[in-house]
Amino acid sequence: MGILYVKFESRKSPQVRKKKHNMFLPDFFFNFWVIFAFKPALINKAFSMAEMMVTEDVAAERKAFFMDLYQKAFPLVARYVSSMGGSFEEAKDVFQDALVIYYEKLTTAPIELQHSEKAYLLGIAKHLWARKNNSKQRHASLDDSLEGIAATENDPASSTEKLMELLNTAGQKCMELLRAFYYDKLPLHKISGLFGFSGTRSATVQKYKCLEKIRDTVKEKSLTYEDFLE
Amino acid sequence: MNEIKQIDDYLFRHATEADNLLFEARLILQPTLREKVLWQQRTYDIIRQYSRRKLKAEIETVHQQLFNEPEHHSFSRKIRAFFSSFDSAQD
Repeated sequence: MGILYVKFESRKSPQVRKKKHNMFLPDFFFNFWVIFAFKPALINKAFSMAEMMVTEDVAAERKAFFMDLYQKAFPLVARYVSSMGGSFEEAKDVFQDALVIYYEKLTTAPIELQHSEKAYLLGIAKHLWARKNNSKQRHASLDDSLEGIAATENDPASSTEKLMELLNTAGQKCMELLRAFYYDKLPLHKISGLFGFSGTRSATVQKYKCLEKIRDTVKEKSLTYEDFLE
Repeated sequence: MNEIKQIDDYLFRHATEADNLLFEARLILQPTLREKVLWQQRTYDIIRQYSRRKLKAEIETVHQQLFNEPEHHSFSRKIRAFFSSFDSAQD
């Protein structure tokens, strides 16, 4: 699914088409091929027309995306981990971390895959497995080596955990907005629609308001939780 | 709000070269601005952690669906078979 080929063709009657043609666009606009990198959220800033072809629900899209990858690639990863003496749970952990890494790569920049998507995921999983087992403690977290990708056994008493808990409840609306901007990297107009803003301008304003609010919370709570600077 | 945007632009390198230089000069002169930049960086880090957890939760939902719903039975059996000699299939 690395590259998606989409053909846009006008299905309108010739009459309507002609009318449109006269008003706005040269004829080739109604019948052309576009090749664009496929992103998890199926968003491409340059081609707003593409969005007409995808469902509106971003979360549902993401779910379908992972469902597809799971079915395609998990058998490979599970077989590999099993051949290395690993357990089902270990295969699951490694695979899920690989999915997160892949997702983050896709949101950052389009990837040109040399091989298939499942081969790529297997590659990441093998890498993760090697790291996990090369470290002296076999069950040590992957946290540091992967910039915190693995959700490890979190110490519920740590400042970060307390903060997360707080943000999950009190700040959820803002956190979801900031997630859409900074993590999923959805385009502004998409975010406006998702969160019900009147336009991209008000979405931007709200983003900065939220950022400031969360920054204040982070600062305040981090200074309160004594272990922050440890 | 203007300042938070400036910090955002600076950290994500969206600013022009000239604006960057100006901002760096201000950083040297204003300790409070420096502090704000650090907290903002920490905030981006928190946003990333938060988002990863949410994403992992979504992935886990997919996993549960594949391993618990009858329509995916053949898939889960295929996977379980890889591990049958190592651990009893439990999830």
